[in-house]
Amino acid sequence: MTAEALDPLIHVPARLQIMAALATLPDGDQLSFTRLQDMLELTPGNLITHLRKLEEAGYLATSKTGSGPASRTSVALTADGRHALDIYATTLRGLLNGV
Amino acid sequence: MEPGEAARLLAQTQADSRRSLDFRAPWVSLVAAGVVLVGFGIVWLNVRNQHPFSGPSPVSLVVFYGLIALRIATVIYARARARAGVSGHSVTVQRQEAMVMAAVLLVWYVVLIAIAGSGQHGAGFDWSLGLSGTLIVLAVVWAGRCAIHNNWRELALTVPVAVIAVVGAIAGPRGMWLVDGVGLCVLLLVIAAFGSRRRRGTRTRLVRTGA
Repeated sequence: MTAEALDPLIHVPARLQIMAALATLPDGDQLSFTRLQDMLELTPGNLITHLRKLEEAGYLATSKTGSGPASRTSVALTADGRHALDIYATTLRGLLNGV
Repeated sequence: MEPGEAARLLAQTQADSRRSLDFRAPWVSLVAAGVVLVGFGIVWLNVRNQHPFSGPSPVSLVVFYGLIALRIATVIYARARARAGVSGHSVTVQRQEAMVMAAVLLVWYVVLIAIAGSGQHGAGFDWSLGLSGTLIVLAVVWAGRCAIHNNWRELALTVPVAVIAVVGAIAGPRGMWLVDGVGLCVLLLVIAAFGSRRRRGTRTRLVRTGA
């Protein structure tokens, strides 16, 4: 097994961090965009780009509440996203054990 | 990115996120241990030589309840800081649990006031029931909450609280302040030590998704 077996969508430092951070939340919970940005120390533009890619893959869902300056965007991992991260971690373990 | 690097990043991010989102940091337990020891200690110093027992003085009670208020404020601050930006199911459930806990305590205090007001028992009985009974009620309610969530580790922590309360009641209205103060302080120090050890452990572990 080689590193190519790893999900290429997750196997990018920023996206792996996003997935890992969101996976620590219990099912049914969301994290605000600003808190996620603080936790991962990513720029807003960089975070938005990666979130969009993960959302398009169905790995996470975003929701917006309120409007104008008081609006808030929240992000949560979907069931598919949790499953994909599980598979990614299992594959990673297999790769490391094979070394 | 090499697999080893990815594994380290995954483990590190999850450990950092858990630490950041968990309000039960070891420092919160350490503050609580100090608060409990000082609060109970002040009342014990006040009542230990009372013969017959008439109950803690208003000044010692003001200090005691002031320190309890400080402890509650510390938890609220730590929780608000750690859970900022988190919304959803668990937040709603925790709010409901806090309301249930407050309602149970309110009912319990009404019962205590009614018992004390009846004047059928002495100050020793009323204070023993007030302190040990409150600790047991809190332990039982928290144990029920832990059982609902299948959180057996936290449920196990309610057992020593109930044991401390029972031993305190046996020690009598004067000794219970010392027994409860020292017992709860030691328990909180153990919790802080375990919390600190767990946090250090997660930092070194590789590839744990927890998903």
